[in-house]
Amino acid sequence: MDEQTQNNAYEAAYEREKRARLKAEEILENKSRELFLKNERLQESYDLLQKQQAVMLQNEKLATLGTLAAGMAHEINNPLAFVKSNIESLTKYHTSYSRLVSFIQEATNDLPKGTQTKLTKLFDEEDIEFIQEDLPELMTDTVEGLTRVRDIVMNLRSFARTQSTDRSTAKLVDGIKSTLKLLHSELKNSVNMQLNLNPLPDISCNPNELNQVFLNLIINAKQATADQKRPTITISSDQIDSEIVIKISDNGSGMSEAVQKEIFVPFFTTKPVGDGTGMGLAIAHGIIKDHNGEISVSSIEGEGTTFTIKLPIN
Amino acid sequence: MKGVVFNVLEEMVIEQCGMLAWNEILESQALEGIYTAGESYPDSDLFGLVDCISKQTGIPAETLVGAFGERLFKGLADRNPMFIDAESTLKGFLKSVHDVIHIEVRKLYENPNLPDFEYEDGADDTLLMRYRSPRKLCILAEGLIRGAASHYDTQITIDHPVCMHKGSDHCDLIVKFL
Repeated sequence: MDEQTQNNAYEAAYEREKRARLKAEEILENKSRELFLKNERLQESYDLLQKQQAVMLQNEKLATLGTLAAGMAHEINNPLAFVKSNIESLTKYHTSYSRLVSFIQEATNDLPKGTQTKLTKLFDEEDIEFIQEDLPELMTDTVEGLTRVRDIVMNLRSFARTQSTDRSTAKLVDGIKSTLKLLHSELKNSVNMQLNLNPLPDISCNPNELNQVFLNLIINAKQATADQKRPTITISSDQIDSEIVIKISDNGSGMSEAVQKEIFVPFFTTKPVGDGTGMGLAIAHGIIKDHNGEISVSSIEGEGTTFTIKLPIN
Repeated sequence: MKGVVFNVLEEMVIEQCGMLAWNEILESQALEGIYTAGESYPDSDLFGLVDCISKQTGIPAETLVGAFGERLFKGLADRNPMFIDAESTLKGFLKSVHDVIHIEVRKLYENPNLPDFEYEDGADDTLLMRYRSPRKLCILAEGLIRGAASHYDTQITIDHPVCMHKGSDHCDLIVKFL
């Protein structure tokens, strides 16, 4: 075999090897791409699973709190009923007692001197004048305190609701619009409202309760945007498959992840003492659960918050 | 630098000067010359090879790098035809380099050290490609663009008014489609 033929043979072998290497590299790249995509899907599933686990834990926690709240509300309600009834009786008794005291004071002069002195001494010792002054105030404060306890109990029962009452067929878009009308004076000139309300099928629901949810969420959104230069609230409604999806977003202060985890818990509030009861979102959660729906939150601090309500159509 | 770049350089030298020349170049650089497409190799190896080829052929390094860029496009296009198939025009392809091709490359390789491109459509059918890379291989990028133009059978001119080699932190490559 001459040298030329030998060289050609090597060159042909080199070309073959090179093609084989290119093919091997192509296979490696394709496999790497496949692996990357599979890993990406795995990561997505893992993230979803973690999110669902967090939602499940949250729901379980809220369900436990619901049972606790219902029990507490029931237990407080019973003594509350007789305390309230007793206070009403006491108010009546107080009127009788006042009349008696006034009568004694008027009749004092007709009594013998010795009895007069004893009576005046007793009035002074017991400070009857002060009692007369203080009793009406004590009664008013007690009634006010009882009213507050009654409201708390009612809120707890709203959160812990277990039965659907007053259901009727309603149009949710109309509910959102009427809630906005109700809030008109609150929102006008202070918030830019953007409505993307697509028509929704009528559903069987308690429209008053759902309007209460919209009201709570819109007021929260308004409060969150108070420090924004251009406060904006966006409300959208859509039908996605067999679900109604309503989103209420704001470009406000947003919430940390720690706050997001707690917002549906009764009595949790970030508002200053006296400004919020911490029951608004807990009640909203109870109402949506009662409608077999879901309410969730996504928020980025400094950018804004979106509440998503999903309700089944059937 | 990824091994595929060395592979295409080897192909170019063998095509132009023969296998003997490539062997001699590797020997002079004391390099084994075993380059696998997906593996990373020192940039200095590539620059050393280019210097050596330039000295042996008498072609100025800049001209050589530009010509290599054109040949590199062909080498990469042959190995990854899907990126070419996805775009029907040169402009579309150039714009896909940063947001499609480089993202796909990142899926395959960790730390591929790819250059950054920003795009701006100009008047008179021009495309500004703002190039940033610590390697400052703008001449190679020009060559790659010319290689792509030749593949898409599109006449272009490339203006390079701002350059990292003249003290700027980026290069402006203005591609004019004729």
